[in-house]
Amino acid sequence: MPISLTNLLSKYIPENNQLERIWILAKTDFKLRYYETTLGLIWAFLHPLIRMIIYWVIFSYILNQNIPNYGMYIFSGLIVWMYFQEATRKGLMILRSKRYLYENIRMNLYDGFTSSILSTVIGLAFNIFVFIAISPFFNISYSFHILWMFPLMLNLAVLVFAISLILVILNSFLKDISQVWDVFLLGMFWINPIFYAKALIFETFPSLMYINPIAGIIVNLRDVLMYAKAPDMMMMAFDWLYALVLLVIGMLIFNRYFHKAMEKL
Amino acid sequence: MENKETVIRLENVSKTFVFRDKKVASFFTQLGWVFTGKNIRRIEALKNINLEVKKGEFLGIVGENGSGKSTLIHLMTGFYKPEKGGKAEISGNFIRLSLGLGFNQELTARENIYLNGSVMGLTLREINEKFDEMIAFAELEEYVDTKIKFYSRGMKARLSFAVAIHANAEILLMDEFFGGVGDEKFKVKSDKVFKESVLKGRTIVHVSHNLSTIRHYATRVILMHKGELVGMGTPDEVFEMYKNKIRVDKLNLRDYVDDDQSF
Repeated sequence: MPISLTNLLSKYIPENNQLERIWILAKTDFKLRYYETTLGLIWAFLHPLIRMIIYWVIFSYILNQNIPNYGMYIFSGLIVWMYFQEATRKGLMILRSKRYLYENIRMNLYDGFTSSILSTVIGLAFNIFVFIAISPFFNISYSFHILWMFPLMLNLAVLVFAISLILVILNSFLKDISQVWDVFLLGMFWINPIFYAKALIFETFPSLMYINPIAGIIVNLRDVLMYAKAPDMMMMAFDWLYALVLLVIGMLIFNRYFHKAMEKL
Repeated sequence: MENKETVIRLENVSKTFVFRDKKVASFFTQLGWVFTGKNIRRIEALKNINLEVKKGEFLGIVGENGSGKSTLIHLMTGFYKPEKGGKAEISGNFIRLSLGLGFNQELTARENIYLNGSVMGLTLREINEKFDEMIAFAELEEYVDTKIKFYSRGMKARLSFAVAIHANAEILLMDEFFGGVGDEKFKVKSDKVFKESVLKGRTIVHVSHNLSTIRHYATRVILMHKGELVGMGTPDEVFEMYKNKIRVDKLNLRDYVDDDQSF
């Protein structure tokens, strides 16, 4: 029975329709994304893996990066980046894809977002799990600093939540936003330390590290997963501040314009 | 009836939609319009509506296409907000039902029941308990694990109705829900539900072109015309007004009552 995990969970968690709803919606999203294909969840992992191999081959020849463990270096950056890209693109469409919910019953307006982000976080968590599992084969040793990945992942999810709230409203008034966002993502990809050493760009433009919250999360996640180091606390505090400020702005915009946006869709 | 509590209250509710004629415009064209104000169209969907719906009532809403019936439902649920000076309130759990409900075509009936049931406010335990009952009501025992996209329209309507009536909604807002589907057998079944709903004190707001259900069950009917509430009364009174209205507008009455023998 496909609902078994949910049934199992519901035995231990007190009954709460809102939590159940978020969970069922997230599960549905996730299932529709991956389970329909023959390879299923493997695709969530195959995407960054194939990209990693391409970048690895190209950049180790062209750029002569000299980064030890370059494959894993790219892989860790790509996990974060591809999550951010997929989740914000999906977030942009939420009012359209979840319209039937908002239209037919009274529910917390943020439930649609929470569930959508939860479904993408499952993919992110899966990739990080794979990363950790294969680490020993690349001479990466474990340390308790790995636990820092949880606040980092949460930070990333909050950031995506905030950006989705803003984008979804903008997109309902101006359909071009999805195109603009794609271009923006393309630019962001090249200014993030995904496939080159962080020193390369941040020594030239140190402020980029602070303008761009994804960079901080990538660097910190690498420190805790690959280098057995504690994260840069200053940067982590800054990234959280960034996410929370955007969240407040996003919620203000969303509450103010939600009903108007729905009329436009 | 006078002493019953009001569950839906609309006061001075108006709604004007402002939009650009070309739905999707390029960035620069739109930018141009922002400054010139060109291509803006205003549609007064609702004009100064005042309406109260009491608990346990079966309110029928009739009117031509584009008379504002669906917008009225959206304002009742709070999905759209009234313009300044207007007030729209609803108290109690409600479900808005339109054909197809919130079904995801790629999911099976079982998955859709869990999804929609939860969205409608049922807990998982309640869905587990009512699952067999819902499937039996919809007569889809053999198709529980079939994807909805392979269902016929009638099967989908039966399934969504089954889920909706088993949810804990005190108010059902039906917007052309049956939309011409449903055979005699299903009609008998839904009639039974309407009877039970009245007994349970459920409130029903029913928008339909099919007047027979409204004639049989509505305690009160309102007539919408070009965004205005132009008539209110018993089904017979309002249907008479509706007929006249249509005659005045030189429209063919038969278009509206094709699927209704009792009219």
